[in-house]
Amino acid sequence: MIRGPMSLAYLKEAVENGDQAALIRYVRLHVGDGSPEAGAKEIDKAWVEALKALITMPATDQQFIDDTLKGQDHATLAHLFFRLHFYLVKHSGEWIHDGHV
Amino acid sequence: MQRAAERRGIATVSPSVARDVTEHAKPPRAVFLPFMMGHLFGVPFHTELQRHILMEMISLLETAEESGTIRDLDLSWAKARKEGKEIERRASQ
Amino acid sequence: MTDMSKPSAASSEKQLRPGLWATVNERYPGSMIHKDDVVPLAQLKKPISECRVAFLSTSGVQPKGTLPFDTVHPVGDYSFRRVPSDADVDDLEIHQLKYPTFGADRDLNVIFPIERLRELRDEGVIGELNANHYTFIGYNMDPVELELTLAEQVAEALAHDEVDVALAAPA
Repeated sequence: MIRGPMSLAYLKEAVENGDQAALIRYVRLHVGDGSPEAGAKEIDKAWVEALKALITMPATDQQFIDDTLKGQDHATLAHLFFRLHFYLVKHSGEWIHDGHV
Repeated sequence: MQRAAERRGIATVSPSVARDVTEHAKPPRAVFLPFMMGHLFGVPFHTELQRHILMEMISLLETAEESGTIRDLDLSWAKARKEGKEIERRASQ
Repeated sequence: MTDMSKPSAASSEKQLRPGLWATVNERYPGSMIHKDDVVPLAQLKKPISECRVAFLSTSGVQPKGTLPFDTVHPVGDYSFRRVPSDADVDDLEIHQLKYPTFGADRDLNVIFPIERLRELRDEGVIGELNANHYTFIGYNMDPVELELTLAEQVAEALAHDEVDVALAAPA
């Protein structure tokens, strides 16, 4: 039983040590509601959904994208990335986030 | 959070569906309910049960003598669900 | 009914999801609260029928139109919302991913018994309801940050509101 390290401290330590495996596991846990296997599938699902949205080459607002990337700070863009992940997963119609962690 | 409130003289009581989590966190007063997560007060439209749980929480506020008290209630999830279905069946008639 | 401050095999067996603390702590090391001590009990200074009561909840219930709780941030959301205690349940919504809401989606009182509390107030069981209840989400990866910020801010708000009793409900 781990009682000492707080989760945030654990993550910060992983960043400092360049512990890529721990960070990947954490991201998968987060987007997989506690299951790294589910998380890996969810990440694939989001990317496939994004690909499907673009495959017929619909018009997109590239100016908006450019302005956003240039006009926002790194953390805001990273936060947006998480939002977009869940947005795309929801759009796929297959939603596992019903609280059954 | 319960601790921060108690330190300011505000008495707290918590419902819990995870007795082990409560045993670790040791809130001042807790009522354990053997229900599903997200269903602290039972099942939809079972107002009597929802009220009963609130009354038990209030009762514990008045009677708990030791911090860290967990009161177990004689309830069951299966029974609550069964009663909830019956209430909904009657309401739809 | 029994009062038990020590774990009991019989009651732990009744937990629908056994071993929750260990499971979550294994997945998210250190995210679960563990205390070795207890806080001294605040004593009720008057009967409940004269007390001002507030409901605190990790349910992610919030008034429609307020900034949704951030359910996707990888280390959590440490903000809270005020929910007027006279709010109509139809004016409230849930933003939270980490617990099953199929019951609450049909009757919010299952997780946030705002209507039952009003009934108890109307019947005189409790003195009055605080103008606001307080809500937040349970997905927070840092219990120290939670204790230092969110818990202190909510407790301070309760003290400011001159609340006597807080019903504090983890979802």
